[in-house]
Amino acid sequence: MSQPVVHITNLNLRYRQNTVLQGLDWAIQRGENWLVCGKSGSGKTSVAKAIAGQISYSGNIKINFDTSCALPAAAHYVANWYQFKDLEGQSNFYYQQRYNKQSTETTASVRAELENYARKHQLHLSEVVAILDALDFTELLDATLIQLSSGEHKKLQLTKAIWLKPQLLILDQPYNGLDARSRQNLNILLEEVCSHGTQLILISNEQEIPASIHRYAEIRDGRLHEIAAGQRFSGLQQQVTRPVPEFLSNPTVFSSFQIIKMIDVNISYGEKHVLKNINWEVNAGEKWLLQGPNGSGKSTLLSLITGDHPQAYANNFYLFGNKRGSGESIWEIKQRIGLISPELHWYFDPSATVWQSIASGFYDSSGLFCDPGYTKRKQTDELVHYFGLEEYKNVLMSELPLGHQRLALLARTIIKNPELLILDEPCQGLDQQQTKHFNQLVDELCENGTTLIYVGHFESQLPACIEKRIVLKNGEVKSVETLLENA
Amino acid sequence: MSNYFNTLPLREKLNQLGVCDFMESSEFLDGVNALKGKKLVIVGCGAQGLNQGLNLRDSGLDVAYTLRKEAIEGKRDSWKNATENNFTVGTYEELIPSADIVINLTPDKQHTAVVNAIMPLMKQGATLLYSHGFNIVEEGMQVRKDITVIMVAPKCPGSEVRAEYVRGFGVPTLIAVHPENDPEGKGLAQAKAYCVGTGGHRAGVLRSSFVAEVKSDLMGEQTILCGLLQTGSILSFDKMVEKGIDAGYASKLVQYGVEVITEALKQGGITAMMDRLSNVAKIRAFEVSEELKDIMRPLFQKHQDDIMSGEFSRIMMEDWAAGDKNLLAWRAETGETAFEKTPAGDVKIGEQEYFDNYTLMVAFVRAGVELAFETMVQAGIKPESAYYESLHETPLIANTIARKKLFEMNRVISDTAEYGCYLFDQACKPLLADFMSKVDTDLVGKNFNEGKDGAVDNRNLIAVNDAVRSHQVEQIGAELRKAMTAMKAIKTA
Repeated sequence: MSQPVVHITNLNLRYRQNTVLQGLDWAIQRGENWLVCGKSGSGKTSVAKAIAGQISYSGNIKINFDTSCALPAAAHYVANWYQFKDLEGQSNFYYQQRYNKQSTETTASVRAELENYARKHQLHLSEVVAILDALDFTELLDATLIQLSSGEHKKLQLTKAIWLKPQLLILDQPYNGLDARSRQNLNILLEEVCSHGTQLILISNEQEIPASIHRYAEIRDGRLHEIAAGQRFSGLQQQVTRPVPEFLSNPTVFSSFQIIKMIDVNISYGEKHVLKNINWEVNAGEKWLLQGPNGSGKSTLLSLITGDHPQAYANNFYLFGNKRGSGESIWEIKQRIGLISPELHWYFDPSATVWQSIASGFYDSSGLFCDPGYTKRKQTDELVHYFGLEEYKNVLMSELPLGHQRLALLARTIIKNPELLILDEPCQGLDQQQTKHFNQLVDELCENGTTLIYVGHFESQLPACIEKRIVLKNGEVKSVETLLENA
Repeated sequence: MSNYFNTLPLREKLNQLGVCDFMESSEFLDGVNALKGKKLVIVGCGAQGLNQGLNLRDSGLDVAYTLRKEAIEGKRDSWKNATENNFTVGTYEELIPSADIVINLTPDKQHTAVVNAIMPLMKQGATLLYSHGFNIVEEGMQVRKDITVIMVAPKCPGSEVRAEYVRGFGVPTLIAVHPENDPEGKGLAQAKAYCVGTGGHRAGVLRSSFVAEVKSDLMGEQTILCGLLQTGSILSFDKMVEKGIDAGYASKLVQYGVEVITEALKQGGITAMMDRLSNVAKIRAFEVSEELKDIMRPLFQKHQDDIMSGEFSRIMMEDWAAGDKNLLAWRAETGETAFEKTPAGDVKIGEQEYFDNYTLMVAFVRAGVELAFETMVQAGIKPESAYYESLHETPLIANTIARKKLFEMNRVISDTAEYGCYLFDQACKPLLADFMSKVDTDLVGKNFNEGKDGAVDNRNLIAVNDAVRSHQVEQIGAELRKAMTAMKAIKTA
């Protein structure tokens, strides 16, 4: 038998004073494709980064590439977080920037980005066409990087990796932000690269995975445990159910019966129409599901409601009973909304601590700029406890795994007990158990009368309270329906 | 028109130079009310114009843009900026007559022409807002007596003004009311409301005067901010190449080094910047910067004297009249330096390495910041104003160098700053020739600590720390930075 492609012995990794990996052993033989699962913070990303040589560790990792293989001898790691740069090589972007038009482009187009990538890795542009098609990305070739939504950035990142066809491909939570169709197509693409000799390490807790995967492991207590195909990660061991803090149990106070009323709302950039004649009414206390494929206009629609889109001023719509653009400030609007979205997370101040991030929800700011005072401090403490984040409360967001960051931002989202909750893929990066737990919390909050708009690409992971659904396609309302008849 | 400052008696000169009040947040409790329901019309839609307008509108104010007819008909960038973000755009004739506040955000050089064109169209009792006082103070623009004249100057580039606002914060801002034009006494209330509209009230507002703003702003930009960073960068690069350091490495160290070094300055003043060095390097950087201060002091003083007497603006306006002859020649020269022409090498330089291998720049920055601050304070400018125009802005300018080197820095700053920067650079280089001939690669290009055992004399180190920490710019800085704690770190290379 030949040497393993990846041979890990006694891998140890510490993070601050905590031990993350302890004596981890793993041998990946030639031709094997692995799925690695585990609860949030178990060390999945750390193992992946160690194999890719992106973090320091103690122990031994030996990688034996196949020198006779035509594929690039590389372990290519696709992070669970995307990054991009402007034309000057900097990544100083800010939340909501993609909606502001500036006459001079600050970022490259997708096409130029792919051309650069092809030059750098000596790839042929003809080979990327099929990947772009499979991920429904072709239409975005002329968009600039700043204009892409988080799901679209994820697709670009995956496109590059699949195009490269490295001998070893490590994907860290690649399904985050992808719609159902793109997830299926991604699996087909991955099966194809595997059939051409690429070996896959897939880090994910999802159920639908490429058929090429035939070995399964869970990272638990700092080590790798091989598991059977059917015995997938459940995460059941960790959840303690705590009572919802009392200050969140108060009935929601509404300032108006009608929360949103849109009349023929249109958004366009030059010739490109992103939203077309949207008519939508949301009344106080309703629980909505907003659906549509990546690029259908969901984020843009929500950005109008959260005061983040400058074209709101040219449209006819009402928020909380007031016509938008009639002298209200965006901070008055935000005060009534609890928002989480992939973008809010991406642009969030990484230098804020967990506690500060949660407390900043009172002010709708990214990071905390003032002392919130006794009552709010106490409420923040209660939420820190409720979400089980005590251990991390003084840790900077940038130093935590994605799942923990996300929990902190979810706490931030609900801290005001707002009239309107906008949860745009709230559970990205969480494991199934955490997702279920959060959705139960959403159900409880909604019983108090909170209005809800929920975006989720995973049908199986939605709160029970959803009663209405609006579906967008190509910027238009495709359907509006009532799912549950409530009082 | 004649220089306004020079028409004042000494008593009034000192009086206006001394306007300096760091405002309490309780002074902004009235929010945007003083501007609510009023028509705000912004002249010009570049980076400052667009981003301030976006913020003001998101704060519930009524904002429109007015552009010259040619810009509208030609669908120029300014027109696109405004219309694509759904603002109303019109000519001066269409929008100025109904405006309650006219905000002039055009370049300095155009101010006289713009103000002469809009003033006859402005309604009785309207307000004219500047973000820089050059036109009023140096050119002596006389504004109609019924018009209120105020200034609101965010101390950051336009994109930061927007970025900080949308994250729920703001950028430090300077405000002023022109004493000759406050007929109804509403100037201060409107300036404060404007600050709230752009988010500036959350990050610290300094009440200044047109005179203090101009005289300190000119001094800062000519000496430490642009002038010395340019001179120091070019001399450092040339020295490294002369001593055989790889040119690609040298280019990268200089391009990004000043940004990394001044990031420490921004967070914790000169103390924090010096503390990033080892003890041996710190003592050496201190000695070198003391020497630099002695050499450059007369040049800093000359710049301050020429600014106060109006001599600087006189010769610059002569150059305007001559079609920017000197400016364009110097600009071309900057584009041709070896540093500018050598691309940054594909080498990784660690964050600490920028300090260890570029100790000379730490010395330049300390010398320049302290000299500019001291010279301004000696000339009657208050320490808070002097801090903003020296230490506070240095990291912002350093960021422009990191983006695209010196040519880019000079393109981004105002023409006035650019002209002053070249004046300084031309005079400073020969002044430093002797000093530079003694500089070796331990100060620039290689790790200063290499081959040293790190031992220092305790008393010597204590004396150096004391001198750095007890400087007035550090004391005032600690106070002012409290209001800006949440300023985000500029991402470094």
